[in-house]
Amino acid sequence: MADDRAPRVVVTGIGAVTPLGEDFPSSWDALIAGRAADAPLELFDTSGCRAHRACSAKLPDLPNLSRKALSRFSRASRLALPAAREALAHAGLLEADGRCTRSDLALSISTTAGGMAFGENFCRDVLAGKRAHLFSQVERYLPQQQVLDLQQDFAIRGPSVIMANACASGANALGHAADLILAGESDCVLAGGIEALCELVFVGFDCLQATTTEKCRPFDLKRSGLMIGEAAAFLVLESQAAAEARGATILATLSGYGHSTDFFHLTQPQPTGSVLIEVMQSALREARLTPADIGYVNAHGTATPVNDGPEAMAYRTLFGDALGATRISSTKAAVGHTLGAAGALEALYALYALRTGDLPPQLNLQEPIPEIAPALVAPNEKCSDLRHVMSVNLGFGGSNAALIFSR
Amino acid sequence: VKTNLAIIGQGAVTPAGIGIDALRTAAPKPQMTATLGEPKTEFPVLRVDLKDLAFARWQKEPRLRRASPITFFMIEAAEQALRGLPAGDRAQTGLVVALSAGCLVYSRRFYEGILRNGQRTASPALFPETVFNSPGSHVASVLGLNGAVDALCGDESSWLSALKTAAIWLRRGRVRQVLVMGVEEFDPLVLDAYRSARWLRQPGFLTSEGAAALLVRTAGPNDKLVIARAREGLPYRTRAEAKFAAGDLFDGIDATIPCHRTARHTWMERLEREATASRPEFSAAPAPHLGTAFTASIAWETIRAASALEAPRGLVPVWGLNHRIGYLELENR
Repeated sequence: MADDRAPRVVVTGIGAVTPLGEDFPSSWDALIAGRAADAPLELFDTSGCRAHRACSAKLPDLPNLSRKALSRFSRASRLALPAAREALAHAGLLEADGRCTRSDLALSISTTAGGMAFGENFCRDVLAGKRAHLFSQVERYLPQQQVLDLQQDFAIRGPSVIMANACASGANALGHAADLILAGESDCVLAGGIEALCELVFVGFDCLQATTTEKCRPFDLKRSGLMIGEAAAFLVLESQAAAEARGATILATLSGYGHSTDFFHLTQPQPTGSVLIEVMQSALREARLTPADIGYVNAHGTATPVNDGPEAMAYRTLFGDALGATRISSTKAAVGHTLGAAGALEALYALYALRTGDLPPQLNLQEPIPEIAPALVAPNEKCSDLRHVMSVNLGFGGSNAALIFSR
Repeated sequence: VKTNLAIIGQGAVTPAGIGIDALRTAAPKPQMTATLGEPKTEFPVLRVDLKDLAFARWQKEPRLRRASPITFFMIEAAEQALRGLPAGDRAQTGLVVALSAGCLVYSRRFYEGILRNGQRTASPALFPETVFNSPGSHVASVLGLNGAVDALCGDESSWLSALKTAAIWLRRGRVRQVLVMGVEEFDPLVLDAYRSARWLRQPGFLTSEGAAALLVRTAGPNDKLVIARAREGLPYRTRAEAKFAAGDLFDGIDATIPCHRTARHTWMERLEREATASRPEFSAAPAPHLGTAFTASIAWETIRAASALEAPRGLVPVWGLNHRIGYLELENR
C-alpha cells in the first residue's frame, strides 16, 4: 500500500483531440461504444504505399484565432491547442480571457515528428529550387515551435521539456512531469503528447511493412499490422498539496512510473518481453503495489506481428494466475497508433476506465493470442471496483514505459 | 532547485579533432559545401573527420552497421567520458541526449528518396535510424548503459533540460550516474535552412557538427567543480522577445560573478554582449571557434567553461537560437 505521508502527484485536468472526437468526452464515449476511426487517408497521396487508411482527427475550430494566425500553425499545433485548452479548463487553470492562471506552468511534451509536414514542404521546395516562404516552413516544423504555440496562446513562460523517445514518448512525458513534481522542481505541469499525420512517418512505417491493409487487430493471431493515427492528449499534473491548496478536483493519483530501454533490436522487443516486465515491476515498486492490484491495463498492442507476441508474454509472466482478473485492451484498434501522443492518450483512457468503471473493448478480435485471451476486454464490459490501472508503451529504440494511476 | 552535479568524465568530438583537447585546437579550414537546393551555391562548413581512426572500432560494431554519423559522434564522445568509470558501474548509468536537428542525414535521405523515386522505393533500412532516440539507443546498447535513456529535442536550451533531467534522476535514485550529451550532424539541407533564416549573413557564422559528453553524478563534499544550477529563462518567438529575455536573464544575479561568453558569430552575439557588458569574463584559452552545432556547441562550451573557471562562481549563458535562453551556474568549491 502507498505511504499516505509520501508526496503524491495527482491529475486535476485532462483534454484530448483524437480521431474519435474533438474533445475527451466525445472521444471516450465513442471508444466505449466500440467505434473505430480508421478511414481512407486524404491528407496526402498514398498511392505508392501498401496501406491507404489511417485514423485522422477532425481539427477543432479555433475561433479566437485569425485565418492568418491559423495558417502559421502546424497541424500538430492545431491538435495541441484545443486539447491543452480543454485540460487547463478542466483543471480550473484558465482565466476568462483564455490565459493560464499559472504563468510559471511547466510543460512536459512529447512528439516524434513535431510539425513535420512543414519540414516536408521545406524539403520539397528546396529540391524544386523554390526560394519563397522557405523560412516560415523550416521555422515552424521544429518541435519547440509547438511548445511555443502553447506558451504563447496560454501566456505561460515556465520551463519546458520535449521528450522524443519514439512511441513511448507520451508516457515518458507524463513520467518526467511526475519526476519534476516529486523532485520539487515544479508543483504543476501540463504534460502530454502531440502527433500529426505526415507523409514521412506514414511511408516509413509502410515501407517497414508494419502497417496493415486490413483491420487493425491487436493481440490477434491474424494481426497484420498497425493503423497510423494522430492526436493530442494532455493531463494537468500537480502535487497533491498544490491541488488541495487551490481546491482542485483530484481525478486520480499518478502512483508509479517505470521506464527502461530494450536493446534487443532497434524496432523489435525482446521476444520474452523481459525488459517490459522489468519496467512494469519498476512502476509497481514505485506505486508499492503487486501485479494483482492492477485491474486494467491499457496495452501498447500495435497489432504488428513483432510487438504483440512479446508484449502478451510479458503480461502472462507478470500477472501469472491473476491474468484473467486483470483486464487488458489496446485502444489502437479504435484510434490508431498515435506515436508520440500514444502514451499520453492511452494513459487518459486508462485513467477514465479507473474513474468510470467502463473498460475500452478490444476491437477487431477474431483469434486472440492464447497467452492473454482470457484477459482481453469484451464489448460493454465494466468493472466497478477498479483501484489501480496501468498504461504501457513501447517504442523504436527499445523505449519501454509504464504508468500506474490509482484512485 | 539546484542541480548539484559533479562532472566525473568528459568527451568531445569536434571538427578540430577527437577528445576534449581538441576544444583548444583550431579547426581545419572550412570546406566549401553546396546547399541542397542550389548545387552551385556554397558556404563554409566545419566537418568532423569520420575517417579518423577513433571511429574505426565503432564502424565494426554489428549494431552500428546502418547508423548515421550522429551515432558515431555520440558513441566516441560517450566512450571518452566513461573511461574512468569502473565497467561494473555502467549498468547503473543513465543517458540523456539533447538534440536540435537530430538524425538529419538519414531523415533527409529518406524523404528525398520518396520525393525523387516514389513512396514504393522508400528505404526500410533508413527509416528506423531517422528517429530522435535511435542514436541514444545504439550508444546505450553498445556501451552497456542499462539505466534509462531519454532523447530531448529543442534548441540549445534542451541542454539545460538534459542536465536538469540528469539531476532529477539522480535525486530520485533512478541511476547512480548519468551521461549527458549534446550531439548534431551536418547535412546540406541545413544550409538551405540557415540561408532562409539569414543566419549565413552573420559575419563569421560557420555551420558545424559534433558531440560532447559529460558524465555526472550528484556532487559530494570532495567535488571541487559543480554544475550548481541550470536555469531556463524566458521563451521567445520574435527577436524583440529574445532581446527582452536576454535582458531578464541575469536579473538579480550578483554582477561580480564572471561569465563565459558562448554566443559566437550568431545573431545572439549582440544580445550577449549587452546582457553581460558589465560582468567580468572568464574563458578557456585558447578557445578557437568550432562553429555552430546547437546542442553540441553549448556542450563544448560547458566543458571549456568548467576547465577555465577560477572564481568561486561562474555563469555560462545558453543562447537557444529558436526557443529559449537560459544559463548554467558553475561553482568552484
